[in-house]
Amino acid sequence: MATAEKPFIRQDGKDKVTGLGRYTADLDMTGMLQAKFRYSDHAHARITRIDTSKARALPGVFAVITHEDVPDVRYGPFVQDRRLFAKHKVRYEGELVAAVAALTNEIAQRAVELIEVDYEPLEIVSDVEAALQPGAPLLHEEWASYGASEDVVREGNDCSRSTILKGDPDKGMAEADIVVKERYVADMSHAVPIEPHAVVAQWQGDRVTIWSSTQVPFIARSGVATTLELPEAHVRIVVPHLGGGFGGKCEFHYEAQVAALARVAQRPVRLVFSRREEFLAPDHRREGQVLELETGVRRDGSIVARRGRLILDNGAYSADAPFFPQLAAMMAAGPYKIENVFVDASLAYTNTTPSGSVRAPTAPQACWALEQHMDSVAGQLGMDPVEFRRLNIVKNGDEGPTRQVFEDIGAAETLERAVELIGYGKELPDDEAIGVAVGWWPSFGIASGAYVKINGDGSATIITGAQECGTGAVMALPLLAAEILGMEPESFSLLYQDTDAGPFDSGASGSQTTFNNGRAVMAAANDVREQLLDLAAEQLEANRDDLELKDGAVSVKGSPTKSVTIPELAEAAHGSTLLLGRGADAVPEMPASDAAGCTGRLGMESFLAPTFITHAVRCKVDRETGVVRVLEVAAVHESGRVLNPIGANGQVEGGVVMGIGMATLEGSLLGEDARQLNPHLLDYKLQTASDSPPIHIGWVDSPTKPGAGGPKGSKGIGEPPCVPTPGAIANAIAQVTGARVHQLPMTPARVWEAMQR
Amino acid sequence: MSAQSYTAATSVDEALEAMATGARPIAGGTDLVVGARGGKAPLPDALVAIHRVSELRGIREQEGGLVLGALATHADIVASSSACELFTALADASAIVGSHATRTAGTIGGNVMNASPAMETGGPLICFDAVATLRSASGTRRVALTDLFTGPGRTVAEPGELLTELAIPTPKDGTGSCYARLEYRRQMEIAIVGATAVVTLDGGTVRDARIAITALAPTIHRVAEAEQALNGSDASDAAVHAAADAAAGASRPISDVRGSAQYRRAMAAVLTRRAISTAITRARGGRFPIPASPALHGAVNGGAA
Ligand SMILES: Cc1cc2nc3c(=O)[nH]c(=O)nc-3n(C[C@H](O)[C@H](O)[C@H](O)COP(=O)(O)OP(=O)(O)OC[C@H]3O[C@@H](n4cnc5c(N)ncnc54)[C@H](O)[C@@H]3O)c2cc1C
Repeated sequence: MATAEKPFIRQDGKDKVTGLGRYTADLDMTGMLQAKFRYSDHAHARITRIDTSKARALPGVFAVITHEDVPDVRYGPFVQDRRLFAKHKVRYEGELVAAVAALTNEIAQRAVELIEVDYEPLEIVSDVEAALQPGAPLLHEEWASYGASEDVVREGNDCSRSTILKGDPDKGMAEADIVVKERYVADMSHAVPIEPHAVVAQWQGDRVTIWSSTQVPFIARSGVATTLELPEAHVRIVVPHLGGGFGGKCEFHYEAQVAALARVAQRPVRLVFSRREEFLAPDHRREGQVLELETGVRRDGSIVARRGRLILDNGAYSADAPFFPQLAAMMAAGPYKIENVFVDASLAYTNTTPSGSVRAPTAPQACWALEQHMDSVAGQLGMDPVEFRRLNIVKNGDEGPTRQVFEDIGAAETLERAVELIGYGKELPDDEAIGVAVGWWPSFGIASGAYVKINGDGSATIITGAQECGTGAVMALPLLAAEILGMEPESFSLLYQDTDAGPFDSGASGSQTTFNNGRAVMAAANDVREQLLDLAAEQLEANRDDLELKDGAVSVKGSPTKSVTIPELAEAAHGSTLLLGRGADAVPEMPASDAAGCTGRLGMESFLAPTFITHAVRCKVDRETGVVRVLEVAAVHESGRVLNPIGANGQVEGGVVMGIGMATLEGSLLGEDARQLNPHLLDYKLQTASDSPPIHIGWVDSPTKPGAGGPKGSKGIGEPPCVPTPGAIANAIAQVTGARVHQLPMTPARVWEAMQR
Repeated sequence: MSAQSYTAATSVDEALEAMATGARPIAGGTDLVVGARGGKAPLPDALVAIHRVSELRGIREQEGGLVLGALATHADIVASSSACELFTALADASAIVGSHATRTAGTIGGNVMNASPAMETGGPLICFDAVATLRSASGTRRVALTDLFTGPGRTVAEPGELLTELAIPTPKDGTGSCYARLEYRRQMEIAIVGATAVVTLDGGTVRDARIAITALAPTIHRVAEAEQALNGSDASDAAVHAAADAAAGASRPISDVRGSAQYRRAMAAVLTRRAISTAITRARGGRFPIPASPALHGAVNGGAA
């Protein structure tokens, strides 16, 4: 077994389970102040006056800031539509109007309440379909003047529109024997990491160090630099342990506001969020979706055409959601052979908290709708739903929705293994059924870098820009380096979580850590390996080509007595030229596609190293109450080559449980005033350990060609596991009850209501 | 948060003394402290902790019934064979409170005195004719549980009164009982709909039926119409249905994020029917296990969910 495939114990594990691990909220500093925010009082209103004088006068208050105290900069990765503090208007309930730093939380809270803000309320837009109606009130009247990436197609409240076109869908639909059209609605849900956000900022002269519970320290750094108009070299982001993220800690949040407070107060300042704030905060939630899907099939079960109209909820401002429409359109087309496709997807501004990249953004919802739709079509055909998928699922050589030709994929194999693992077709009690769903997800090729240095005693240190949110992805990096250097993974220390130390990395997002940083670490290890071999050739007076590096030593092939150990080489190097490796591997090229008829192209027109997944779930439905229990799950994934089975299985278990939560209970409800009605864990119900069923995991080994994927032909693993679970559960519910639930989450009440119809 | 003073009493007298000067008692703190942290109500200015008062602990049998000390935890109740055998509905209720941690820390006294209309043990205690002993610096009185609750979070107890124990008379032979709750997940639930049934059979006939509904009105209460539908009947499905429908009819559910009034009313009938059916099964000597603390994968004593 290769080193990298051996089970290993993660370095930070003991600290975390024994409580020694330090998280951002645990940090304490002499003279540290506490921060509180003043939030908007309306979901949509014009600000007519802000008066902070009473708050400033409160003893114990050191800083009160508003938009006037920070540079007037609009920012955002695709569309620059947001500011650190509201200036003319507020557009959702969680928008920041002011911030306070005070001696205690209680004083800060009192000061926040003393800030006077006058508003002129405006008409609220909370429904995505209403938002796109002609004449709907505009959230951003000045949208056309905002800076934005060229490829974003915008119009009024539609912040980003994408279409996918293949073949002639109208003609295809006309030729179909059966056409099925359905509508599905997914409510907003949340990432809900157990650790709420925390930020601590401290200035030294004109430089600031910010400890932040962020998944994306380099993005946070550039955000602070942009909004406070500082050079990146003056901003250092340090990330203590992260208590989960799930995408809710992507993007740049609050680091700049807390830094601005600390600068005014001239003291370190700490912000720690409550659970309620965590629910209202921007970019922590999965967007709601409205999906209309239409599929035309021939009697033999082949799909002739698919049309889709999708509207996604952006919320009041844009983080990375502008690329969601294109991603969701690919999801709505699905990993199926379809000759004619047209999907039209929009991203609507509404007066709700902004959406962000929560684990596999857009996919679980779109897949939930599509996979129910697939079962409906199979039902109309009188065909078994697994058989219907078997006929249409993509195989090697088939074309995707944008004519990407698939190579080295194992989608069909995931379907076969999953139905086998769950025992599809077996006799079940009358209130149980098995539902099946297929999904897919891209890998993201992004620049990333790492250094590997050999210490004087022959141990080694990896310095990386990669960040992890608890997945173990960074913890597993030593495995890759150890294998290349003929060392043990335990001989490595890791330095990460610090933007002043590691090279750029896009953070714990997009399932990209092993995929990109793994390649960088391998490149750095190979760089050091070359240096070790050069040095050994000198020391052994041997031809470099005759040397091999194995088990902690370099020896001459065929004469093992002629050898020198890595510690010996390290010692020698510390007397002359140090052993320092650097790695920044080229980003894999995107697979070719034909996106000529597509608009709003934001990089998702083909999928790099796509993963394929089938989940098969056995559910029990209480027909009288609508309560659904997931009894058993078979989750089979094709993720190229699996590098670290413990880590990979952990991602699948967590993803499946997250998927069960999304399917059955997790959703936010909005009041008339566009405020969330359940921003707390009493009524936003997560799954508990007791709810999680046995999960049978299978991996289809199907490595990519070198250069087309991650290390050793691997693909991204973190996000895909939650993608098909809700769809599979939905299909099981429909099997038991004979009724489809068209709204996500499929709460007991909704299941019960569907049965009353 | 922010309590100004905190003392830990070691005897009932010490606790009463502190309460006489305005201190609020705190037992497990799972309502009081968690509520304050969540912003429901700030902590009272003065607190007197009673968890070290040994007189208030334990469950004991006495002539004609069982006495639960105010500090008996939900875990204690589920572990008591007398509670499980004689007052099965109460054990059903304690067994599903919160999570393992909540059941170990949360007390029966706190559950009752917090007086939530969604709390679990109220329905069973009312149906079993439980009587609370309230003591203050100036005396002791006994109040039937039926008369204790006056509204959400409110009881007849005066500020200086400490609940010291709950006495429950042994039910007549031939009695079976059950508390059933609508549950969206396996741990950490709050009652959206709950129902208690205590049924005494005499031969094939229902001699005495007690039915209460939970989380369906500002206070937990018995439903006379439902009891009448069952009393004197042969405990047939038809009678059970009629009683359950009567209970649903008497409910005054609200619509909120936890469910619509329509759904709650429909569930009131379902849950009441299930509680009555199980109570009858138990009255007939049939086995129907108390919900064991759900564990990982829902496995219970090695069995499947
Ligand atoms: C996660 C979680 C889940 C929960 N789930 C449930 C559930 O499923 N069902 C349910 O019913 N409850 C639930 N609860 C609520 C709570 O755990 C129970 O009500 C528990 O029994 C309260 O007991 P305690 O000792 O912790 O009360 P405390 O918080 O100590 O006290 C509660 C109130 O009663 C008063 N009080 C306490 N003891 C006395 C006394 N002897 N005399 C007079 N007044 C007194 C206190 O002053 C306070 O007002 C849950 C709580 C949590 C945190």
